[in-house]
Amino acid sequence: MAGIKQSPWILHYDASSCNGCDIETLACLTPVFDVERLGVINTGNPKHADIFLVTGAVNEQSKDVIRNLYRQMPEPKVVVAIGACAATGGVFRECYNISGGVDSVIPVDVFVPGCAARPEAIIDGVVRALAVLEERQRDTAAAAGSMDQVLYLRAQKSNAPQILALQKAAYQSEAGIYGDEGLPALQQTLEELEDEFDRRPNREASSLGARETRKDPEKDRDHVVFLKAVVNGRIIGAVRGYEVDDTAYLSRVIVHPYFQGMGIGRRLTEEIEKAFPGVKRFEIFTGHRNERNLRQFRKLGYQEFKTEPFTPAITWIYLQKERP
Amino acid sequence: MRILMTLVLALILVPIGAGLMLGCVRLDTLRKVVVGAVTLAVFCGTLALAARPTPVDSGVVPFNHHWLNLGMLLVEIGMGLYVIVVGVRSRRPLIVALMLAQGGLMLWFELTQGPRLEAAHDLFVDNFSLIMALINGVVGGGICLYALGYMREYHEVAHRDVPDRRPLFFALLFIFMGAMFGLVFANNLMWLFLFWEITTLCSFLLIGYTQTPEARRNALRALVMNLAGGLAFALAIVWFHDNADSIELQTLITSKQSLALVPAALLCFAGITKSAQLPFSSWLLGAMVAPTPVSALLHSSTMVKAGVYLVLRMAPAVTGTTVGLMVALVGGVTFVIGSMAAITTSEAKRVLAWSTVANLGLIVLCGGIGTGEAVWAGMLLIVFHAVAKCLLFLCVGVVEHKLHSRDIEAMSGLIVNLPRVAVMMLVGMAGMFLAPFGMLISKWAVLKAVVDASPLLSVFIVFGSSATLFFWVKWMGKLLEVVEPQRRIEEKLALGESIALYGLSAATFLACLFFPLISSRFIEPYVLSVYGQTASLGQGNLLIMTIMMIFVLLFPLSFVWYGRGVKVVDAYLGGANVRGGVGFTGSAGQVQEVNLHNYYFRGLLDEAGLCRCGVIGCSIVLAVMAAAALV
Amino acid sequence: MSSWIRLLIYLIAAPVVGGLLAGWDRRISARMQSRRGPPIFQPFYDVRKLWQKQSIVVRRSQNFYILFFLLLVIFTGALFFAGSDLLLVIFALTLAAIFFVLGAYKASSPYSFIGAERELILMMAYEPMILLTAIGMYMVTKSFYVHDIASHATLLVLALPGVFLGFLYTLEIKFRKSPFDLSSSHHAHQELVRGITTEFSGRALALVEIAHWYENVFLLGWVYLFFASSPLLGVAVSLLVFVLVILTDNVFARLKWQTALRSAWVVAAVLGFGNILVLSLLR
Ligand code: SF4
Repeated sequence: MAGIKQSPWILHYDASSCNGCDIETLACLTPVFDVERLGVINTGNPKHADIFLVTGAVNEQSKDVIRNLYRQMPEPKVVVAIGACAATGGVFRECYNISGGVDSVIPVDVFVPGCAARPEAIIDGVVRALAVLEERQRDTAAAAGSMDQVLYLRAQKSNAPQILALQKAAYQSEAGIYGDEGLPALQQTLEELEDEFDRRPNREASSLGARETRKDPEKDRDHVVFLKAVVNGRIIGAVRGYEVDDTAYLSRVIVHPYFQGMGIGRRLTEEIEKAFPGVKRFEIFTGHRNERNLRQFRKLGYQEFKTEPFTPAITWIYLQKERP
Repeated sequence: MRILMTLVLALILVPIGAGLMLGCVRLDTLRKVVVGAVTLAVFCGTLALAARPTPVDSGVVPFNHHWLNLGMLLVEIGMGLYVIVVGVRSRRPLIVALMLAQGGLMLWFELTQGPRLEAAHDLFVDNFSLIMALINGVVGGGICLYALGYMREYHEVAHRDVPDRRPLFFALLFIFMGAMFGLVFANNLMWLFLFWEITTLCSFLLIGYTQTPEARRNALRALVMNLAGGLAFALAIVWFHDNADSIELQTLITSKQSLALVPAALLCFAGITKSAQLPFSSWLLGAMVAPTPVSALLHSSTMVKAGVYLVLRMAPAVTGTTVGLMVALVGGVTFVIGSMAAITTSEAKRVLAWSTVANLGLIVLCGGIGTGEAVWAGMLLIVFHAVAKCLLFLCVGVVEHKLHSRDIEAMSGLIVNLPRVAVMMLVGMAGMFLAPFGMLISKWAVLKAVVDASPLLSVFIVFGSSATLFFWVKWMGKLLEVVEPQRRIEEKLALGESIALYGLSAATFLACLFFPLISSRFIEPYVLSVYGQTASLGQGNLLIMTIMMIFVLLFPLSFVWYGRGVKVVDAYLGGANVRGGVGFTGSAGQVQEVNLHNYYFRGLLDEAGLCRCGVIGCSIVLAVMAAAALV
Repeated sequence: MSSWIRLLIYLIAAPVVGGLLAGWDRRISARMQSRRGPPIFQPFYDVRKLWQKQSIVVRRSQNFYILFFLLLVIFTGALFFAGSDLLLVIFALTLAAIFFVLGAYKASSPYSFIGAERELILMMAYEPMILLTAIGMYMVTKSFYVHDIASHATLLVLALPGVFLGFLYTLEIKFRKSPFDLSSSHHAHQELVRGITTEFSGRALALVEIAHWYENVFLLGWVYLFFASSPLLGVAVSLLVFVLVILTDNVFARLKWQTALRSAWVVAAVLGFGNILVLSLLR
């Protein structure tokens, strides 16, 4: 199944550009560059678009918009950040309202450098994005074709970058629910994630209260389990958990948006429960407005037992289950 | 023969008798029993009548004429006196004048011509009257059942402030029904006139049912306009008797055009007032203040049909004359103006009323053209319109009680809130204007008939029907769209309401499926007997219509694959969606709710202006018609 | 040629021809703007891609309406090329368009809602002229059957010049070209985003495209009908009309819906009805 390369439809969004990059982007459509000869159409509609072009740095106003637009694009899709601002925040980086480049909000596939980026560079960026798009398309198609062969395996530290990318994509819908980011899952850095492979995270451990006893890292490792769901060599889901005193603390059941609603999350949860044979009790938490997760966990036998405000917008709901 | 006549008489008298009885029944259960029984009896009666192999022509009533005439005279005088009292009390000299003119004329006529006023056949049954009787019995019966539940909710929940006069309501409903049977079976013009006046009076009383100042005003307006029609009717009888020495409808239809033209024109005028054509449409719009069953029964499916019934009956007498052309023009103009006016309003009952006026206009257009093909098409329209429009009225009634509003804009998301009623409403609307449902088949037939007879008149149909398209589809869209997170309203229907709604929905489909049967069994023989030739749709076209029908019927089946393999996300709102997709972040960061609102062409079309144009235009046309008839 | 063979050819060839016409359209438009433009097969590439994309909806049932839209458009064309009753063809076309509009209503997004509403206005605008066209043809040939009309001996356009011009006017609307691309435009960036198709993606959008191909072929077939007695001229004029439509698309700004509606009705009343008036006077 090829051909996605021949018909790239584009959505262009100006996050908070000085308009320099915007002008250059639109210049691509003019007779001089005429990207339509490559089949490019500037759709202006996320539901029709394959490639998301973002210019300018991300600020408080544009954060939600970028996330919404990204979420409303059908799979497979790629994101191209155009210009220095979109890459890092550029000259606006130090402004009070700027949260950085586009990748501080959504996963970016191609960065086009320049201030302003030249039309040739932008076209080049789009063409590179097309390669990513095609690969993703092939991956997705292959994965969708062999959904009966999902493998649930232990993840290694070397999987961390893939899991992080997955996590950021998967949590977009969660961010859509709460509007405000501040979801730890979206702010996690690669180092933090890699760290989790070695020892359980501090923040969540703190909720354990006084009973928490810090053990040495070497021993902790035995208690941490990372699982991944793999199709055709591609990770499409993951979950993690660690064990303290007869209780397994599970967290972040993540599934790639394209494969959500196919029962992968449920299987991941079940599998990770098996990975803790010695515990008596499981605990898991989710945001209070994520009805889908709550429903899912209840179906798996979990029951709510406490809530904890996290930010003004989010309240964590903790669920537990005794091992039968 | 005797059985037939007994049946006909029973159909007239049983409802009237039941009505008189219901007038003194205060007990709800007893009322239910009586209404149910009578409705069932009437229903079976009409079916039995329709099932008879060869409908017979005419019959003699087994009563002594003298006494019967005297009785009728008394009823007439009583009604006349009542109307005059009403006119005096409400200080409407016009009502008094019209009533005095018409009553005086009839009284003088009866007193001077009394002994000579004999008709060989007082009643007659033919295919046309059978169709009308079927509509009256089946649709009307359904509405009576519906009214039981509806009126209880009306008084006990929705309109507590309105005095509960249900005995009167049901009495009038059934008396009206009997009168309607009388109207379609009468051959003696005097009888026809009597029943005509009874329906006028019932309509007046039912419009004024709530006794609010608005209802009273509108009822009086309806009375004035219908009395004007009544006057024309009386004149027609006198004129015809004067010239042809007969008071039989059949004689009138079959006599030569020169003799019949003046009375036919007068009767057409009466029909035009009764069926609320412009310039008289305002009474039907005003009549929408009445409870919904009244609107459904009197003001969409039966009484106003009596008007077009008369016009279609007169069709052979006026065809090809200037009078006929003018009648057709009135119908055509009404169709266009009514359809456009329906675009401009968002009140459901008003839209239905305008659409009724418009469709009646189409039938009047057919009558005015008066060729066999046109009459055939007009009769098709009568049948299909009665079923579908009645269904729509009843649905709106239910929705109004559940939502406490009859604004179309408030019906957004009805498909989730009240799924069953919404689906029935959609069926009704599809029945009104979509291929391959009945109304469209009929409109198609009308178009062909008009193009054959006088292509220039087709311009009305062409413009009118495209306007029709607009207001129906936007209403359908309103029902289908789902914007807010919806709550499902409890959808409890009373038994009678369910019977009526499901029955009529089924009838809308069945009328389509059995369209060839309806046409060949009832309509074609009538047209054949009057014109000596008939029209029908080609076999191949029927096949195509059937295929389309299958398409439409397949549509609900597709919900078997309900939303498989799709991902649900919010609507596109420029990326500014906030939680859950019902709102977006506007300027300065405040959250705005999504609000979808239909176009009503404000500034382009305006209801009052349209009306004014129509009234002036049609008045001129009517004046020309009068001149043409006299010259 | 028997009507069955013609039907079969239509069913198979129409999407090919329609797609090529669409590709040609984009190419000619590009040349008019002194650009190179996409390959001629671009519309096929687009549809192929759309077919592989995920389907995103706002309301789960919205895509069925599109499926029925496509089926009915094909059905309309099939009736036409099988030589059946012209009025029936119009009714089927209307039914198809209504399904499309209802799908957009169902999608319940402000953009598709307004798109649907405007599409309805446009339908209301072109319906009279289309019906008048059928009536005009009937008056000349004494038959509503496409079959009979096509085998009429003289050039219909000679008797129906006004109707023909009026029909061209409505064709602009049916092709959704400027100045009448109010409901959904193929040009980027406008106030309605994609109007009526805003909320359709993936396969549903591909179906819409294919439906338009079928529809365009059918409409050009109708243009041909005016010149049916001389097939070569007919084909030439149909193609010329198509180029004309592209030209107007590129040179005109968009009209407001009020103006679109009013002008279309005036055209129908003056050109269409005027022509019929003359015909019936001559008769
Ligand atoms: S990269 Fe330069 S040109 Fe582009 S938006 Fe930033 S400041 Fe403007």
